[in-house]
Amino acid sequence: MNLNKAHFLLFYLTMTAAIASGLAIFSSASNITILLQDAASGLFVPLLLALVTSFLLDPIVSSLEKRRIPRSRAILTVFFCVTALFFASASWFIPYVQHMWGSLSSDFPRYTEQFVNYVREAQSSWQARLPFLKNYDLSASTQSSVKQILSYVLVQTPKSAFKLGSLLVLVPIFSFFFLRDGNNFMRGLVALAPNRYFEMAHDLSFLISRQMATFVRGRIIEAVIVGAVITVGLHFTDIRYAPLLGLFAGITNLIPYVGPIIGMLPGIIIAAVDLGIGGQFWWIVILYILIAQVFLDNFILIPVLISRVADLHPLFVILAIVMGGKIYGVLGMIIGVPIASAVKIALIEIRHYRRAFSLPETGTDRHA
Amino acid sequence: MDLMWSNIFRLKSDEESLTGFLERIAVFNELEKRDFKYLENMVHTRTYHANETIFEKGDPGSGMYIIRSGKVLIFNRDIHDQEQEMALLSSGDLFGETTLASPAPRTFSARTTEATELIGLFRSDMLTTTSKHPAIACRILLGLTKFISEQAQRATIEVSALQQRLLEMEHNPQPTTGG
Repeated sequence: MNLNKAHFLLFYLTMTAAIASGLAIFSSASNITILLQDAASGLFVPLLLALVTSFLLDPIVSSLEKRRIPRSRAILTVFFCVTALFFASASWFIPYVQHMWGSLSSDFPRYTEQFVNYVREAQSSWQARLPFLKNYDLSASTQSSVKQILSYVLVQTPKSAFKLGSLLVLVPIFSFFFLRDGNNFMRGLVALAPNRYFEMAHDLSFLISRQMATFVRGRIIEAVIVGAVITVGLHFTDIRYAPLLGLFAGITNLIPYVGPIIGMLPGIIIAAVDLGIGGQFWWIVILYILIAQVFLDNFILIPVLISRVADLHPLFVILAIVMGGKIYGVLGMIIGVPIASAVKIALIEIRHYRRAFSLPETGTDRHA
Repeated sequence: MDLMWSNIFRLKSDEESLTGFLERIAVFNELEKRDFKYLENMVHTRTYHANETIFEKGDPGSGMYIIRSGKVLIFNRDIHDQEQEMALLSSGDLFGETTLASPAPRTFSARTTEATELIGLFRSDMLTTTSKHPAIACRILLGLTKFISEQAQRATIEVSALQQRLLEMEHNPQPTTGG
């Protein structure tokens, strides 16, 4: 083989062209995915909320449908009732929230300062006992992180109020269509399965969506009840912001293991700062831990509402929280665990199905 | 000219529309006229090639099939894996109805012999219907019960006849009937 310069040049040119075109294709492809990501970025939250809303409203709509009301009309009726309820409560709710927000933005720095003081006291007592910790300044790092959280909350809350406006438009529209056409979407999707697997796909989609609806519904109802009980319990004391603390505890209750602890922190801090450590403080601690968590949640709500099937190993819970937080921030932390549970439910249903029938191989490779 | 226009404006005849077809199926006799509109959205229409497996014995069964067009071979395999034909079904026939109410593995295999259109009615849709439209579900299940009990009755008569023959053969064992 005689390779001259022309061959090398040709080889070089071809390689360059190949690499260049490869890069061009890659970059345009990634541009397209970025474009798609951009287009879909704001839609994740409204879609998820709409899905949850439709899971929650579906039993009501179905019970109306049972009375021979057409589905679309039933959905609109339910939406009308919910909207009316919203407006009725808003006239009472909005001034209350405004007042609370005003006093909270002045109170919040006070609470955090007190919290940092506690940390500092604790630190000095540790350092007296454990001298090797002297170089580690916990109170300073706490102070800086608390300041960060503070500014984040103060800036982000009014911002997210604007987001809430767009959610109020998008979520009802999405959930209307989920409620009306959700079954048809699923049918269309399942119909794509090849004939041989159609029956199985159809059955599984039914079983999984039924389990999922029960799970989501149970979780939401559980959070609402826990939040309500904490709100009512806090009203017996002189603590301020009881509804807000109840709301926070309810939302964080969606996260197993870690959520309740995070949910009780602000309440206990506020109680310690405002009320001092006394009878009311201990009542609040008992309310959070014993009444809401141990008694209500563990003994009553979880056994009644949620099957233990969807329980995740604590390791997976932590992984789900961290990964969710990486992708979607605070919201990701809240929804990470339910999504992981949903995946687990799907897997369990599939395994159940396989065990019940010990799936055979396809017909073509059966004959002798 | 006439031909062209008649093609465009021709309404679908009862024979062609899915509702018209379903109305002729014995299982749906109990249904009222307006229920068929719901039933039409409840069933799944699937098209099969010739010689395509619909299900094999032992598959998880989750509902019944009605043959709209084409032919379906119902068979079992003997110990040598040879196909033993049990029936050749055609348009309007249905099979697999016993798994509609309770989950069970299929007790026979089914395969198309020509291009076939099947209408599937499955348990999960039935369950959804029982909670949303109990009246419709009730009528379907009533029709199905009639159908299945007729089958059971026929089977009982056949079994007792066979028992009778067996008894006779035991009492006077003559090799008359190829035994």
